[in-house]
Amino acid sequence: RLSTSQLEEKYGTSIDKGLSSTRAAEILARDGPNALTPPKATPEIVKFLKQMVGGFSILLWIGAVFSWISFGIQLAQGAESAFDNVTQLASTSWLGDQRVAPRSFHTSVLQQALVIRDAEKKEMPADQLVVGDIVEIKGGDRIPADIRLIAAQGCKVDNSSLTGESEPQSRSCDFTHENPLETRNIAFYSTTCVEGTATGIVINTGDRTIIGRIASLASGVGNEKTPIAIEIEHFVYLVAGVAISIGVLFFIISVSMRYKILDSIIFLIGIIVANVPEGLLATVTVSLSLTAKRMAKKNCLVKNLEAVETLGSTSIICSDKTGTLTQNRMTVAHLWFDNQIYSADTSEDQTTQPFDQSSPSWTALSKIVTLCNRAEFRPGQENLPIMKRVVVGDASETALLKFAEVVLGDVMNIRARNKKVAEIPFNSTNKFQLSIHETDDPNDKRFLLVMKGAPERILERCSTIMINGKEEPLDSEKAEAFQTAYMELGGLGERVLGFCHLYLPENDFPDTYTFDTDSMNFPTSNLCFVGLLSMIDPPRSTVPDAVSKCRSAGIKVIMVTGDHPITAKAIAKSVGIISATSETVEDIAKRLNIPVEQVNRQEATAAVVNGMELKDMSLQELDEILCNHSEIVFARTSPQQKLIIVEGCQRQGAVVAVTGDGVNDSPALKKADIGIAMGIAGSDAAKNAADMVLLDDNFASIVTGVEEGRLIFDNLKKTIAYTLTKNIAELCPFLIYIIASIPMPIGTITILFIDLGTDIIPSVALAYEKAESDIMNRRPRNKKKDRLVNEQLAIYSYLQIGIMQSVGAFVTYFTVYAEQGFLPSTLLGVRVDWENNAINDFEDSYGQQWTKYQRTYLQWTGYTAFFVSITIQQVADLIIRKTRRNSIFQQGLFRNKVIWVGIFSQIGIALILTYVLMLYWFVAVPFAVLIWVYDEVRKLFIRRYPGSWWDKNMYY
Amino acid sequence: MSKETKKPFRQSVAEWRQFVYNPNSGEFLGRTAKSWGLILLFYLVFYGFLAALFTFTMWVMLQTLSNDIPKYRDRISSPGLMISPKPDTALEFYFNKSDAQSYAEYVSTLRKFLETYDDSKQSQNINCTPGKVFDQNDVAVKKACRFNLSELGQCSGKEDKTFGYSKGTPCVLVKMNRIIGLKPEGEPYIQCTSKEPGAVEINYFPSGGLIDLMYFPYYGKTLHAHYLQPLVAVQLAINSNSTNEEIAIECNFSAFKPGVRTSKYETASCCRCCFKLP
Repeated sequence: RLSTSQLEEKYGTSIDKGLSSTRAAEILARDGPNALTPPKATPEIVKFLKQMVGGFSILLWIGAVFSWISFGIQLAQGAESAFDNVTQLASTSWLGDQRVAPRSFHTSVLQQALVIRDAEKKEMPADQLVVGDIVEIKGGDRIPADIRLIAAQGCKVDNSSLTGESEPQSRSCDFTHENPLETRNIAFYSTTCVEGTATGIVINTGDRTIIGRIASLASGVGNEKTPIAIEIEHFVYLVAGVAISIGVLFFIISVSMRYKILDSIIFLIGIIVANVPEGLLATVTVSLSLTAKRMAKKNCLVKNLEAVETLGSTSIICSDKTGTLTQNRMTVAHLWFDNQIYSADTSEDQTTQPFDQSSPSWTALSKIVTLCNRAEFRPGQENLPIMKRVVVGDASETALLKFAEVVLGDVMNIRARNKKVAEIPFNSTNKFQLSIHETDDPNDKRFLLVMKGAPERILERCSTIMINGKEEPLDSEKAEAFQTAYMELGGLGERVLGFCHLYLPENDFPDTYTFDTDSMNFPTSNLCFVGLLSMIDPPRSTVPDAVSKCRSAGIKVIMVTGDHPITAKAIAKSVGIISATSETVEDIAKRLNIPVEQVNRQEATAAVVNGMELKDMSLQELDEILCNHSEIVFARTSPQQKLIIVEGCQRQGAVVAVTGDGVNDSPALKKADIGIAMGIAGSDAAKNAADMVLLDDNFASIVTGVEEGRLIFDNLKKTIAYTLTKNIAELCPFLIYIIASIPMPIGTITILFIDLGTDIIPSVALAYEKAESDIMNRRPRNKKKDRLVNEQLAIYSYLQIGIMQSVGAFVTYFTVYAEQGFLPSTLLGVRVDWENNAINDFEDSYGQQWTKYQRTYLQWTGYTAFFVSITIQQVADLIIRKTRRNSIFQQGLFRNKVIWVGIFSQIGIALILTYVLMLYWFVAVPFAVLIWVYDEVRKLFIRRYPGSWWDKNMYY
Repeated sequence: MSKETKKPFRQSVAEWRQFVYNPNSGEFLGRTAKSWGLILLFYLVFYGFLAALFTFTMWVMLQTLSNDIPKYRDRISSPGLMISPKPDTALEFYFNKSDAQSYAEYVSTLRKFLETYDDSKQSQNINCTPGKVFDQNDVAVKKACRFNLSELGQCSGKEDKTFGYSKGTPCVLVKMNRIIGLKPEGEPYIQCTSKEPGAVEINYFPSGGLIDLMYFPYYGKTLHAHYLQPLVAVQLAINSNSTNEEIAIECNFSAFKPGVRTSKYETASCCRCCFKLP
């Protein structure tokens, strides 16, 4: 806004001389280096402590403390502890919890900037820049700070990392807009100068730059709890609730049974501790890590483990357009010649073009495309596929060059044969580019003038039009046809260029003629119009499929882009974000020919919302849009607006995934339940803010991620069901011990052998379970209703399978005692005598007498047998947990090999722990079989009678 | 995720009340009466079935057992020893010979214990050949050997009704635990040692602490109903010049005379008895 001299004054600098070194040093000391402060890293020790006391671990810690208390009580009593609950290994909680993902993405190369200081041009590191420095930038440079331009020649900057606009913006010295983001005379830190040169004054450095402010906006957005964390918390409450209520219940029972209060307290603690699923936390973490690893193989790098599951519960994906949905490069999409529109192949790896190339008009057009083009391939890339080669030149010229290379072959050779004699490059006033060439026909001594540019400007200069190779006068009818085609291609959101040529008459322009581009001593009107080419940043070929998969998985895909509404809508249509049949309010208005206001908004399923409209909207209006329309495109949005949109979606109760690559996306990435950054195109800020990084920038990877996320939720459910089941089998002995006063059926150490020994590998193995059918045809889970651990799961595990296991284990227990001489009837009520150290002639059912040590030895045998029978039944439990609905035989008993590793490890560990004694191994087998059969029956009824009472109560 | 605001207390109470009983849907604790009925019925059937199954498998298991001898006896391979009287506190005798009250309980316990060995109770028992294992494998009705109380000498309670407690020479009966089928080799005997040598003089009845082989083997409660296990009485004569107020005695069982220890029954150490003197 200020004039150059005002600027000089304001920043105390001089355009020609720049700042003095001393002054610069002063400012540098005041403002600090020109670099973004990295987000504050939490100290490792804090992280470690958080890990140790966070969420689930706290349950283990409380369990451990209780164990010590009860141990202390027993120690004080001087009695040998009835059940030594001392070894609650809370340490397992963080053992498995080593985060797998790399922590930072600091790959920034030291940037150099050309600065004028002390009246000298100096190359210096960009972080030494201070406000008031005069910097020079040229095409290819990264802008080193926020710069107010004071001189510019054809300068264009790529603001995509900041605003998401895919097209380079031209920059000049003119003040054009109040909004600093829109005005032309400011270039922003971290954006790239694509072409041209410019000089400017540094006006902001470091964190005070626009990008710095956005970055701080991102760090200001708090991290939300992940859905899985909420589920685990819920699970902890549930387990704690069950443990405490059973504990208190039995405390009351034992008190009323005239146990000593102190003993009752120990029972209480014992019950609570027995309920803590010690191995679960490790299992959950390992499952998450496994999935994260699996996803990394599929190009999804997961930074935050819990995010794996979040993706699975995602119900809305807010996707950025450029680079995620599209290939982020201009490609020729359509051609118009001979009054006809042809489509070109826009896929990533095109090698040929399918359209009709027989027309002589095409020959002429292709010549113009080839010749009137300044872009060139970097040398030395002959072996690369054409689409992958690096080109020097702007986006449209690159597109045309590659297109020509694909269709015609060696473009450079064609250009060499048609030597260029004169050229006028594209500029914004002419809006055309022109060049004059010799022809490659040795008999044809004429010069060929080729021109391309904005279609309407080109048409103005034409008097004829080429139809099927013949020049025909350009009458109003043909002009009309041109208009229609132009509008149509423009309506597709494509950038259209017009092409025309003229063979200069040999008489007026002999081969010795010198062309002067300044005086334009050659005709630039009455040319022959040849055709139109339109270009677009085409969608990735995998995207439409991925979008439709998201649809069938009940996930709403919303496009949020900084791009123009028309382009955005066109891309949305082509990838299926707006499906073919749905209409926006504007479309309906157009179809019915009524004003937009009269259209019933409920009828429109799609909506394209402009950033400008969004600005004036109240939150309610935004909610309404998000609610009422299933297909939404937000165009021309600012970073703040992205944030608002994400928050709006979250208000609907949705779990929102946001994809993005630019710095402008980072606040939204952070705010989202799961932020997904692009690995290739993504900026560091975006990657830092995101929970996940797509290494191949491919939207389709998200779908894989969703599938994996849902799978892990299902598998966690199975794992928890598996783990909870045996808790009852571990708890029941204790309860019966209290009530019936039988010898203790299972010891604490044995319980830990199960929890941390035999059961760990199998429960991890469930994480490898393949998906049951329909995983991607289900709606995303409702995070309020579909809990990880729901009532059915708990009841089925605790009250049905758990009880069955207990019964099986007790049969084994009684068998052991009976076969050793204590018939079941003699065991009831013997606890006090049995545990009395002074009684060494305890009589069994056969009249034999047992010393205390012999009884204890027998009791240990009982522990072993109980342990073995729980293990055997857990094998059955593991097998039934493979599926929740399908029969095991549908799922395939052997498809998940890891399950078998789990089963064998389980049996192996049990064998080692029992010193390879196979005694009592088979008593519980009938019960294991029963568990399997019963669960098959349950699943059969669930499949057979969906929605029935059985389904509602038995399906978890 | 929308920010969850803390619910006001009244609202959460109302929600709880709604959960406990919802008058609109007639739901009690989240289920209607019919739903509760169904679920209770289901669990009634389910647990009924499980109980039946449990009973059945237990029954099957019990069918595999013999009435006479347990299936396995590997957890009690060696017999334990036990003493009578058995004090409440961990095997500590505390008495004063001049105070009859202090040992009255020991005496009555001993008396009661020896009642089963009374001649009148042993009318069915036979006199067996001493020094030989009384093998009755082929006999259907196993006979029990007579254990004569006179074997216990001064500790039989016949001469001294206070079992020596009043004289400061207390008697303790040591018995070996019954184990079915156990046949000691050699000559089993009980030996007690004092921690402080010379502080106490130990007498055994029968002499040498011998247990006669004729009382072995034992055939179990059902087959060998009138079996009486052999006893060894240990009488302690505490040296009057002993300064110790506490005398610890440890009794061991050995199937062999000292010096021939190669058997599978090593020593079964009994309770360490501790005599506290006033």
